[in-house]
Amino acid sequence: MRVAVLRFDEVNVGDRLPPLEKVVRREDVKAYADASGDQNPLHQDDNFARSVGFPGIIAHGMFSMAHLVNALTRWAGDPGALTSIKVQFRAVVFMDETLVAGGEVVAKDDSTRRVRLSVWTEVDRAGQRVLPIKNSEAELQLG
Amino acid sequence: MPLNQALKGREYQEVSFPVERDHVVQFADAIGTDDPVFRDPEAARAAGYPDQVAPPTFVTKMQILTSGQVVLDQELGLNYAMVVHAEQEYEWRRPVVVGDVLVATPRIADIYVKGPHEYLVIEAEMKDASGRVVVIARSTLLSRGTAGG
Repeated sequence: MRVAVLRFDEVNVGDRLPPLEKVVRREDVKAYADASGDQNPLHQDDNFARSVGFPGIIAHGMFSMAHLVNALTRWAGDPGALTSIKVQFRAVVFMDETLVAGGEVVAKDDSTRRVRLSVWTEVDRAGQRVLPIKNSEAELQLG
Repeated sequence: MPLNQALKGREYQEVSFPVERDHVVQFADAIGTDDPVFRDPEAARAAGYPDQVAPPTFVTKMQILTSGQVVLDQELGLNYAMVVHAEQEYEWRRPVVVGDVLVATPRIADIYVKGPHEYLVIEAEMKDASGRVVVIARSTLLSRGTAGG
């Protein structure tokens, strides 16, 4: 087994997920569209995005969610540890913004060795902290 | 135009989705993860998996195929230009690996109104060849301002 796998006993309520940053580039969003099959023009065509009221294309909600999941599975050291996630998409993400995934352990279940985290993503938009994903939760099965 | 509430509970055609090695690598590249278990079957086996592992949100690819049928259903009356992805939920019973062939029958789990907006909940239980549930996906789409009238 892998040495970096996080153990249930190492985790405490209140622990923070190490923040994971990603600068959102147009080419990343295009690569995500191709890999996921979500070819909505809102994520590729600036003219279309402007026609529905945005200044330019926005990232897929699922693009941000995938980044958040990367942060979780990196922390756990095992992609199989994630048992559930439920997110709310509350704000859009524009190109060249820095998306930061975060989380905090809110509960531990000793009988199942599962931990629950409150999770979010954030961007700094002109000095304002904006949370594209908020009021969201994930659960991981640890060893 | 409001959504057709009578379609609550409607089931759509079964979708079959083979999990292929190259697609998993392409997806891992796109989401920017370098974990070798997503790329190398040997690394995955060394970590205790039967084969190369798909990143957890790889199933989004299947979900897009399944929900496509729902959003394009003429009887539902959804105007896709007004749609925003409001919520997404996944429950994994086990990790998805290369070689899995997942099948799912998408259904409209709910349609409800909140303020001026309508919400459409699409659920898909993704099962493997032995009929066991692998992932449950639940998407909530918000239809902006379509509740009235």
